[in-house]
Amino acid sequence: MDFDAIVVGSGISGGWVAKELCERGLRTLVIERGRNVTHRDDYNDFATPWQIPNRGLVAQDEIAKHYAIQSTNPAFNSATKQWWVRDSEHPYATPTDRPYSWIRGYHLGGRSITWGRQTYRMGDVDFGANKLDGNGIDWPIRYADIQPWYDRVERFAGVSGANEGLEHLPDGQFLPPLELNCLETSFKQRIEQYYPTRRVTPGRCAHLTEPTAEHIALGRGPCQSRNVCERGCGYGAYFSSLSATLPAAKKTGNLTILTDYIVERLDYDHAKRRVSGVRTIDSNTGQGRSYQARVVFMCASTIATTQVLLASRSEYFPHGLGNRSDALGRHLMDHVVGIGASGTHPGFLDRYYYGRRPSGFYVPRYINITENADVDFIRGFGFQGYSGRSSWQRAEKETGVGADLKQRLRDPGRWEMTLVGYGEMLPHADNRVTLDERRRDKWGIPLVHIDCSHGENERRLAERANQDAVRMLIAAGFENVAPLGAVKPPGSSVHEMGTARMGRDPATSVLNGHNQAHDISNLFVTDGSCMTSTGSVNPSLTYMALSARAANYAADLLGSGEI
Amino acid sequence: MSNPVTNSKLDRRAMLLGAVFLVGGGAALTRFLKPSESRTGDDAPAMSGEQFMLLEQVVDTMIPATDTPGALAAGVPAFVREMLGEWASDATRREFLDVLETIERQAWAQFGAAYLELPAERRLAVLGRYDEDAISRQDPAYGRFKYLVLVGYYQSEIGATEELRFELVPGAWRACLPLTEVGRASAV
Repeated sequence: MDFDAIVVGSGISGGWVAKELCERGLRTLVIERGRNVTHRDDYNDFATPWQIPNRGLVAQDEIAKHYAIQSTNPAFNSATKQWWVRDSEHPYATPTDRPYSWIRGYHLGGRSITWGRQTYRMGDVDFGANKLDGNGIDWPIRYADIQPWYDRVERFAGVSGANEGLEHLPDGQFLPPLELNCLETSFKQRIEQYYPTRRVTPGRCAHLTEPTAEHIALGRGPCQSRNVCERGCGYGAYFSSLSATLPAAKKTGNLTILTDYIVERLDYDHAKRRVSGVRTIDSNTGQGRSYQARVVFMCASTIATTQVLLASRSEYFPHGLGNRSDALGRHLMDHVVGIGASGTHPGFLDRYYYGRRPSGFYVPRYINITENADVDFIRGFGFQGYSGRSSWQRAEKETGVGADLKQRLRDPGRWEMTLVGYGEMLPHADNRVTLDERRRDKWGIPLVHIDCSHGENERRLAERANQDAVRMLIAAGFENVAPLGAVKPPGSSVHEMGTARMGRDPATSVLNGHNQAHDISNLFVTDGSCMTSTGSVNPSLTYMALSARAANYAADLLGSGEI
Repeated sequence: MSNPVTNSKLDRRAMLLGAVFLVGGGAALTRFLKPSESRTGDDAPAMSGEQFMLLEQVVDTMIPATDTPGALAAGVPAFVREMLGEWASDATRREFLDVLETIERQAWAQFGAAYLELPAERRLAVLGRYDEDAISRQDPAYGRFKYLVLVGYYQSEIGATEELRFELVPGAWRACLPLTEVGRASAV
């Protein structure tokens, strides 16, 4: 055996698996399809606005030619361009009338560099939802199963937030919260008074407000309030694979990282009922090479992991590795986004703030939990909120030139607030990832075909989120209140999930309650593809907890010789 | 400032010259546009020398030097020219040149002279009137033009640090303070 374990992918899930396995004494190989990235050295987070190419704007022709999909992500700009793939080099197929936005970055650390850093626990209302209303299949775990792992990953990652005592948004191991600004404090008072069933809390986010000794030992420091996180953070103040998990894994001496190698397929040994090899392609030379290990973790991200498993067909698994259930590739989900509202507030003109907070506030889900009446859909949505005073940018849409304009822009403009809804999406078997065998990428790998669209429940939920956001802003004294606009195509929230779901029954799911393939004891999947439902909160913290839990479970099995 | 539809001698002259410019002055306008219209290779300049001179005066009107340096000192004209070359698509570049052309045409229509030949207060009148009209119409081309001038100034070192306030490393988040304690608007 080359290694004890192979981890495919180095993003949030892969980083966590590598750390846990290495710390359990297992010789671990992480295979990353993209380029190597050196923490700090490869970031441009100390560039001033006037040093950023084209002041942040990416050339219009370049966007049209290479970044038509990736550029729809709000964090895409000339200072972060290196963190997104060129759509022209990494194509995928969709039906023409059902667009899907597959937002990706191929480099060490994956999307843990550009993620939104919002970190919330799922509660039993989420883990029990499928069983309760009969959509999808039941999760094989409940909150009690994952709670200690949430504790563990929060402590290590460093999550700031405020405990609220809500069962549906469980409290955690929090560093001090990033405080609400003047307007948000007023908003919180007004909303909680007007709607006693709703809550406003500082955003829970993976930023070090007060680093612990464990964080400092890894070279991480406190948040400097720069809010250039998506360029990478030289202070290591937010959690990423590069700032936290991979350095911890390296410290053990058990970690090997292989970049620029694309995993094409997994080999299966039917006699042993095990994955026997990981076949890779050197992305620079096209050369193939196979690696062996006692256990394999797929953490390549939902769609990429699904692509590899679908391609790993054999006599025994003609529809993809571990796909006896036909669930592999189905039930693709993503949080419904493009919903919410924004407005301006006439007050607090003598108040301001200092620094650039890299987070906002959160309105946890209330629909179908603390409020049940008058709703024509199931599940619900939460709101991430952002507010601040406008600056010079407002002049683009305001009349005025000359010395008067210049004088006016010295003061900040009115306060603005945006409520950004994240809605739960139900699992539908027809929302599906398949392989398009007729079309191949430059390495000869069949393209993925993504067919995914929102259903009636998502539409109703989105409409209600818009209404509620408008009403809350009006109730809190805002003006110029308007809904955000149209629901974005699925994929836009970059929370894709569900295509290799966990379940109790091998006939309807790919993975068991430990993220282990039902039929293949040494194959684990811990990225978003394992998710049985989406819940309404940002999923990365749950991937971390499930990854750490599954890695330790696998280490136990390896230790006892069961796999 | 002045409304061109008045009966003063000056304005009649302005109207007349404006009309001459629009009819007979087509040649001048063609010359004004030509270098960019025919731009083909990457080496070709994004705008002609005449267009650049007009751009300089327009951005100087939009963000003048006051008790702090203005757009000229911040290098906004060169920035805009660079952006037209490196950032803008052909369509956007044509739009920008159209905006400049319209400003020039309005200078002739209102005051009977090229923008460059007008005194500062008349330039302000021409640009202010165009700005008001274009923004009320939500003209996207002018919006992009104005944004580029604004970003060129307020994200320059002068605009960000001398005119507004910018700290590369704020170091802390202070959530609620009197505006007087913080001072000016943050540039980012």
